[in-house]
Amino acid sequence: MSNNNKKWFSLDLGNTKKEATGSCGCGKTSGGCGSHTHDQISDKDFDAAVDAAIGDERKKDGFDQVFDVQMDRRTAFRKLTASLLIGAGAVSTSCSVTTGENAKEKAQIDWEEQFKGNYKLMTDEERNATVERLVRSYQLRKKKNINMSSKDAEKDVLFGYAFNISKCQGYMDCVSACVEENNQDRNSQMEYIRIHEMKDGKGFKFDEADDNYYHEVPAEGHFYMGTQCFHCDNPPCVDVCPVQATWREDDGLVVIDYDWCVGCRYCMAACPYDGRRFNWSTPEVPEEEVNKNQHYLGNRMRKKGVMEKCTFCVQRSRAGKNPACVEACPTGARIFGNLLDPDSTIRWVLENKKVFRLKEDLGTEPKFWYFMD
Amino acid sequence: MRRLKVFRSLVKDSLDTTTQGSKRYHIWMAFLTFVMLIGMYCYSIQLEYGLSATGMTDRVSWGLYISNFTFLVGVAAAAVMLVMPTYVLKDIDFKQAVLIGEGLAVAALIMCLAFVVADMGGPSVLWHMIPGLGVFNFPNSMLTWDVLVLNGYLFLNISIPFYILFRRYQGKVPNPKIYVPGAILSVFWAVAIHLVTAFLYQGLQARPFWNNALLGPRFLASAFAAGPALIILVLAIIRTFTEFKIEDKTIKKIGMIVTVAAQINLIMLVSELFKEFYAPTHHSESAYYLFFGLHGKTALLPWIWTAIPLNVLATVLLTFGKLRNNLKVLYFCCFILFIAIWIEKGFGLIVPGFIPGPYGKIAEYTPTGIEIGVTLGIWALGAFVFTILAKTAIKIETGRLRFKTK
Amino acid sequence: MTKKNYIYILGCTCIVTLFSCKHGEGEYHNITDKIEAKSKNYHGTSISSEQLLEGIETVEISEGPHTFLIPERKSQIKSYACTECHTKPLHQLKTNDTIKKAHWDIKLAHANLNTMNCITCHNGNDMDNLKSLTGNTIDFNRSHKLCSQCHSKQFEDWKGGAHGKKVAGWAPPRASMTCVNCHNPHKPSFETRWPARFNTQKVKERE
Repeated sequence: MSNNNKKWFSLDLGNTKKEATGSCGCGKTSGGCGSHTHDQISDKDFDAAVDAAIGDERKKDGFDQVFDVQMDRRTAFRKLTASLLIGAGAVSTSCSVTTGENAKEKAQIDWEEQFKGNYKLMTDEERNATVERLVRSYQLRKKKNINMSSKDAEKDVLFGYAFNISKCQGYMDCVSACVEENNQDRNSQMEYIRIHEMKDGKGFKFDEADDNYYHEVPAEGHFYMGTQCFHCDNPPCVDVCPVQATWREDDGLVVIDYDWCVGCRYCMAACPYDGRRFNWSTPEVPEEEVNKNQHYLGNRMRKKGVMEKCTFCVQRSRAGKNPACVEACPTGARIFGNLLDPDSTIRWVLENKKVFRLKEDLGTEPKFWYFMD
Repeated sequence: MRRLKVFRSLVKDSLDTTTQGSKRYHIWMAFLTFVMLIGMYCYSIQLEYGLSATGMTDRVSWGLYISNFTFLVGVAAAAVMLVMPTYVLKDIDFKQAVLIGEGLAVAALIMCLAFVVADMGGPSVLWHMIPGLGVFNFPNSMLTWDVLVLNGYLFLNISIPFYILFRRYQGKVPNPKIYVPGAILSVFWAVAIHLVTAFLYQGLQARPFWNNALLGPRFLASAFAAGPALIILVLAIIRTFTEFKIEDKTIKKIGMIVTVAAQINLIMLVSELFKEFYAPTHHSESAYYLFFGLHGKTALLPWIWTAIPLNVLATVLLTFGKLRNNLKVLYFCCFILFIAIWIEKGFGLIVPGFIPGPYGKIAEYTPTGIEIGVTLGIWALGAFVFTILAKTAIKIETGRLRFKTK
Repeated sequence: MTKKNYIYILGCTCIVTLFSCKHGEGEYHNITDKIEAKSKNYHGTSISSEQLLEGIETVEISEGPHTFLIPERKSQIKSYACTECHTKPLHQLKTNDTIKKAHWDIKLAHANLNTMNCITCHNGNDMDNLKSLTGNTIDFNRSHKLCSQCHSKQFEDWKGGAHGKKVAGWAPPRASMTCVNCHNPHKPSFETRWPARFNTQKVKERE
């Protein structure tokens, strides 16, 4: 992981030191290539010295970077225990001899989850470790197995979406499929997608549109328009996040690390498209309705006090499938695909239909286009 | 070594000072503690049930907490209006007032931070925001700027008065070469904290109500009216209840500051109203909602129509020198101005920013009891902190608290 | 003293201002440029729909510049081939009106009877195949050719991908549903029905 383009302040003692060592460019780590001068200590020696000094913490980030380097884990733990309630709970359970193995393991997992780093900056091993912990934690708590992926963005993929206004009939099958696919809170009836019912001949009057109709559809003299997260290429929500808990992936998906989010809701205020949702209370999904095919950045279970939003069903789209809304739509109003593939259907739509986007003047560059037949 | 000894003695003495006092003082502190406990109880409920215990929704996602935060940043920034003339322009008049002002700034900043923490969805992972430990999205996120400037300002406002008091405590004269640069820095810093807080809102293209160039300057103007107004009221109280001498001249001079700031604020208000209502676009809907209600939703009308007349009345009264120099009128004006700006820069600014929503949908916001409880608790915390700071400072300044060499 | 301070503070302000420019953007002016630039060297991705298409029988069709898969149709039609029942040409199968007719439940709701009836698409003499307006044979697996005779605009959109749905995923190879996978050819328009969901919380929120 290269840290040259880092723009945040995080103590990365390990990383900078490592870059300083293997810098000859010949690829070898021993002093065999011509570019090493002899008065330098050899890279091998230097590496050994660095290893001795900082051990294997060179690639860790966030909390780990600081605390593992400066002092041993136990000291750090003890110091933080006093101030962090959840940590205190975990430690007391893990220290107690009377509690069972399971409880101990749970506490251990909770502890490590509480103090893990930002997913965006994790190494692959760390990512796998946290996914394993989450799967294990679910197993311990619910006695059920889930399947969680941490698949990265694929090369040469940029996801885009098109919505055919003339086709949408307002059945809301997409909304339903989305809720079931993405394990959204059933209590607060959280929905990522909104379908706006607009009157013919009035243009796009969102303020007069009804996004919570309940009558037979399509209603006479109305048309329907769906909105959700548009996965902007220049997303204002990403800029404003104080902790980089949300970012744009290489395949264009704007995702959230639910465990890194501090819940300040600044991104919500910054989103011009009403794309983001907040867990005002602990989200609840009946056990039998939980979608167990999950992705770390997608539909895994959230906790209270964090943001979430449409991810174009990252757990599906990165596996080649269409998002749940696209698959559920009975009218074919929703088109999804790879913007970089010149032969893809989404590209044909963009090149051959009269497409437009919402609030284009804001410069957010949404990757969600509307068109009509 | 000696310094450490003096410091230890100072802490002990100030503890003595703050725990002893008249009956009225004890009742006051007990009352504040009680309110704080209520606030903590409410916060514990909020922690358990999440922010659903508040009136906020996906539609109006910031409410009472952020409103108060915004207003208090202004109060904190206003301390500069006293610092500048005293330290930089060497106007001796303000010297007694300045420590009170900085104490007020410290209290306001602590309240600001408390409001921000109360507003967080995940307070247990707030360490993600600490530079070094977590990931600090600087300079992209204005919120990280705000964290930096607020904490920096807090540090400045603690260290400068502390230095002065520490010297006085030992019976020495503070060295201007040490504190004047700090004071100058804090002048710039105070402008920065309020401007940065304004930019927090101003930089959001999603919210046209906030996304206007006048927001920052208006923040400053209103802050320099409301902050010193509060200082005047506090000075008036201190004058009555303690032996700390504050001359009429000082209060009148601060009154002058309040007047000018209030006048500028009013001009900007007129400019804003003109822009919103002369040629209204759909971006003016938030302003319509605030002042006249939209589609039958009128929750903010009583608030804003309290604030505007109070604001105008106070500014007009203050404009006449004769009325302003009458202390009773001045106190009254300061009080109503403070209330008016609290509404305007709090509720009247934050809530309409979210109404109507990005797609024109209107969901109104009413704070819940829990939310009000936490808010009152934090205000009590601020008053508590300020009382402690002021009591120690006054005792040292009046020379009754001195380091005794054994 | 003070002058020095002022210069110092001014300097700091300048540095902060310079440093405060937003980073990480501006590589592309807009998304169209980005798509254009990044797709220049496109050589396909490792993500494929092939696995998802396993078990679905498809046929490959070529229409103009577009070549893609559509689901195989004949095996999906109940009791195909038709000639298993319709052993003789239609006019020879005619009986008196008292017994139940085959396909009695089909009510044609496609255009009006001036424009279309059964034999617009079906051939009484060759029931295993469809027929074009000019009487040419169209295979049941290529039924889109029949529809496209009138619905040329929809056909264009369908070929490109703006009309209709994909069979499995977005990734290549492209497999699109054909007309009759969504539209009942005898009654092609969608029916009105109730929405799948109603949000009671939203109502409460907006009271």
